[in-house]
Amino acid sequence: MTTETRAATSAQPSRLLSALRTQEGVLFLVLVVIVIVLSLLSDRFLTVNNLLNQTRLFTETALLALPMTLIIISGGIDLSVGSMLAWSAVMLGFSWQLLGLPLPLAVVVCLLTGAIGGAINGALIAYVRVPPLIATLATLAIYRGFSFGISQARSARGFPEEFAFWGQGQVGPFPTQFLILVVLIVAMHLLLARTGFGRWVYAIGNNELAARYSGIPVERVKFTLYTLSGLMAGLAAFIFTSRVTTTRADAATGLELDVIAAVVLGGTSIFGGSGSIIGTMLGLVIITLLRNGLLLTGVKGDATFMVIGLVLIAAVLINNLVRRR
Amino acid sequence: MAPPIIELREISKSFPGVQALDRVSFEVREGEVHALLGENGAGKSTLIKILTGAHQPDSGTILLRGQPITIPDTRHGLKLGIAAIYQELSLYPDLSVAENIFMGHQPSNRFGVVSWRQMQQRARAILHELDADDLDVSRPVRGLSVGNQQRVEIAKALSHDARILIMDEPTAALTQHDVDRLFEIVRRLRARGVAIIYITHRLEEVFLLADRVTVLRDGRVVGETMHVSQTNQAELVRMMVGRTLDTFFPKDAAEPGEVVLEARNLSYGRTTRNVSFVLRRGEIVGLAGLVGAGRSELAQVLFGITPAESGEIRVEGKPVRIRNPREAMALGIAYVPEDRKLQGLLLRMNVRENTTLAVLRQLLRYGFVDDAAEMRLTQEYVDRLQIRTPSQMQQVANLSGGNQQKVVLAKWLAAKPKVLILDEPTRGIDVGAKAEIHRLMNTLAQQGMAILMISSELPEVLGMSDRVLVMRQGTIVAEFDRAHATQEAVIAAAMGADALHTTPAASTTLT
Amino acid sequence: MATSTTRWATPARRSGVTLQQEGVIAAAILGLTVVVSLANPDFFNTTNLLDIVVNTAYIAVAAAGMTMVIVSGNIDISVGSMLGVCATIAGELARNGAPVPLAFAVAVLAGSVMGAVNGILVAYARIPAIVVTLGMLSILRGGLILVTQGRWIESLPEAFFFSQRSTLGIPNPVWVMLIVVGLVWLFMKYHRWGRAIYAVGGNAEAARLAGINPQHVQFFVFVVNGVLVGLAAVLYASRFTAIQSNAGQGFELAVISGTVVGGVSILGGTGSVIGALLGSLLISQIGTAAIFLKVSPFWLQAVQGGLILLTVLIDVLRRRRFA
Repeated sequence: MTTETRAATSAQPSRLLSALRTQEGVLFLVLVVIVIVLSLLSDRFLTVNNLLNQTRLFTETALLALPMTLIIISGGIDLSVGSMLAWSAVMLGFSWQLLGLPLPLAVVVCLLTGAIGGAINGALIAYVRVPPLIATLATLAIYRGFSFGISQARSARGFPEEFAFWGQGQVGPFPTQFLILVVLIVAMHLLLARTGFGRWVYAIGNNELAARYSGIPVERVKFTLYTLSGLMAGLAAFIFTSRVTTTRADAATGLELDVIAAVVLGGTSIFGGSGSIIGTMLGLVIITLLRNGLLLTGVKGDATFMVIGLVLIAAVLINNLVRRR
Repeated sequence: MAPPIIELREISKSFPGVQALDRVSFEVREGEVHALLGENGAGKSTLIKILTGAHQPDSGTILLRGQPITIPDTRHGLKLGIAAIYQELSLYPDLSVAENIFMGHQPSNRFGVVSWRQMQQRARAILHELDADDLDVSRPVRGLSVGNQQRVEIAKALSHDARILIMDEPTAALTQHDVDRLFEIVRRLRARGVAIIYITHRLEEVFLLADRVTVLRDGRVVGETMHVSQTNQAELVRMMVGRTLDTFFPKDAAEPGEVVLEARNLSYGRTTRNVSFVLRRGEIVGLAGLVGAGRSELAQVLFGITPAESGEIRVEGKPVRIRNPREAMALGIAYVPEDRKLQGLLLRMNVRENTTLAVLRQLLRYGFVDDAAEMRLTQEYVDRLQIRTPSQMQQVANLSGGNQQKVVLAKWLAAKPKVLILDEPTRGIDVGAKAEIHRLMNTLAQQGMAILMISSELPEVLGMSDRVLVMRQGTIVAEFDRAHATQEAVIAAAMGADALHTTPAASTTLT
Repeated sequence: MATSTTRWATPARRSGVTLQQEGVIAAAILGLTVVVSLANPDFFNTTNLLDIVVNTAYIAVAAAGMTMVIVSGNIDISVGSMLGVCATIAGELARNGAPVPLAFAVAVLAGSVMGAVNGILVAYARIPAIVVTLGMLSILRGGLILVTQGRWIESLPEAFFFSQRSTLGIPNPVWVMLIVVGLVWLFMKYHRWGRAIYAVGGNAEAARLAGINPQHVQFFVFVVNGVLVGLAAVLYASRFTAIQSNAGQGFELAVISGTVVGGVSILGGTGSVIGALLGSLLISQIGTAAIFLKVSPFWLQAVQGGLILLTVLIDVLRRRRFA
């Protein structure tokens, strides 16, 4: 069986085992190698402190990668996530500083902004049937434009100390946002792998027409996915703002590429129909650790981008070779 | 008798785990139509691929006009004058008819600059030979009827000056009118000395068109090549399946019950116009008509894919609204669509996920899929429909056409419908699976299901139906009960009486 | 004959639609010119209108390459990083005393090499184009920063500023743009290889059966795209006195937007380079028009995005009416 793909797997433990031979397996091995190499290169790498710290930087990307996994499995894509994050963050700062809303209410505005941005994407894609790549390419520009227009490129700062809890605080030994993330990872994994909704997502990605003919509410599923993506961007914006204590219109520029890279690295087919949350998280962990490790060994910040690209192409290439055999 | 233009000697080809061809010898002569028969998986496709150069044989020789040759790739095959027209037409939807014909060998100068004028002229000339002057060579192929698309394919083969033309089930998706035109073209090509290898599942075509016939089974030639006058349908079926099928269409007499579905003046766009009919419990109603008469479109109106714009649907006497497939399903209507790969299956997902797709909601507990219940349900239908699969986890893409069709059926039977609409339920599947599906339809009807069957195979319609409805130009033009449904009557109704007079050939092409 | 018998779900006459799309964009450009000129007569003068074209030139040159890539059924989102790398190479060579024509030639060569790498990975290693070019985007961007350490390239020789000069009264970038678009148009319309790109994007399997090697075609379009991005980089680098280390960031969006707005179907198989040129012009023109209409520069991106969305919506809705 040369054409073995893993559509909608990871439900049964036996299938989990066989999945180890494919993308997740490869990724896991890659991860182990990276950890060993990096810990030999820098004695600061393999420390609990460093690793926990990484989760702070990692959370915002991860929050976007969760719904992105579902969207790509459904055969779509969302290029506007970085812009939605920035717009939501700007709305948080704007409604708190300029409109004088209480901070909790401003956070609600932030989440709502994301959800509305996502819902607009969803409506365009599901109901007006604009191809996702084009629709979200346009809204990428529009939402980024909203961030600049509304903020007039000014940043909001001076948030009260307790606000920092979500992005800088700890619960026990764990960063706050890490715990939020863990809960959401579990929830999204269950949603995708175990529920009827998750099955629908795979079905739509496999054959949208057949899904429609089988009575699946294709439009509603897609609309939900893109709205969810916006909502998560809003949540990421909130945590981001709390972490860096300022809202800037150019926040998260290009972040969509990191997110998509993580999802694809995690074995989700860019053509839709297969993939998993576990894969995405492995992909993201690899990217983050590589960057961190390189920074610790003295490579300059933005140059670590190189690694993402190399790992992405190498992983898919290896996976292709393994499967073709 | 002309010498063979191409000859295969003792050709073998195996793939991992399968001996696709086992010492097959086969020859075609100039100016003959050579029918190639066999169930799916018998080795026909592999044979074609070896002839066109898409596959290389493991052993054996290919002789072209007596000279041993190798055909390293399809480009080489075309140069040798070997062209194939596949079931899945290979056209470029957005390019013009002329370009579709000449892509890859456009009239061009030595710098590779294409002469559009010359290309269009030559395209017109070729279409003229095919008696298809009505095709505008500058319009894009998207939007052409299947019959016209096929003519473009044939023109493409002729543009390569093909001397050996392989046609893989060319009539599978054609209207009766287009079938007639195709036969005419094939006969013309034969008269010009073209050797034609003709693959079909419709046995009557063999006797209408072919000179000789060869049957493949399990990668081997069964018996030897025969002249069609030396054989008959029953013998060919026996050779293909290796057993005797009592009858193709085992419809038992049934006692229809009360009305389940009633349509009154249904209309949608130009494709469904003022359609009224009733469907009773326990009966199979055949919906006949030319392709393009609006049969599938009517099914899609009933199933809510294109909801009716006017008119009324009643289910068990109650007026209902059907605005989408979900509402249709809730009313107990199921629709097995025409194109199983495009509309029916999730090819890269497994048998279980496909089987339960339409009833997944019933298998949820707090939104989560109940694995045990899903497995039980799937097993029930795998057993009942005798779906031949190594396991429920098998990817549907790896099943044979017949078993794929059974999976689509299983999906809809699992929904326990009161009304089952079957659109071309046996298209492109082998004889054995076909008989099983017919038996199943019988059983379902006896259990009280109402079945509306769309089929372009008239013998199937006549054999299976308690009643036959005939559609033409979007509306129902005739209704026959079983006793009065004859080929002549149905064809006359489907084509309209006038059409019958102008094309007298039509009645003779269906035996 | 009823349309229901077609094998393709939407019986819209796509290539007819593409022509219409070019017409729609041309009309939009004219309409916008009229409206903005009425609102602010300063808009309607030769210098200003020519400025729009000059500023679009390097985008349009890359959009010509992108048209080939998208028509072949692929996409290249690494063009921004490639532009940065090529521009930096040209600048570094010229600053270190290499003859300017050589510097430009090496930049174009570098573009073709990067295009070839993309092409090999897509065509022969069969990795989806979006994955390959996403990876290349990061690799090249990271590599560029690693090498330049974020420094700008300044004190370039006078001969370097090709884009600031004119020939026969017309700015050089406009010449390059017209020649490139003209040649690519002729090639795609009249050359067998050009037609093969449409064949591969429309139905790769059919193209293969017709004796066209889809892999070679895909490799070819990526190489040509690399060459054109190299050319675009030369136009870009020689406009201003300095080359920034983040040159070309977001360029891919401008190029893809222009191409898609111009009616090149993201699904492959249809579209023309004229459309891509018009699409790029429209987007640039919107930017300039916004300034003349005194729209806050901070709202500019939203306006541009909105208009991209609008053109796409018009196209989608019109196609639906056909269906």
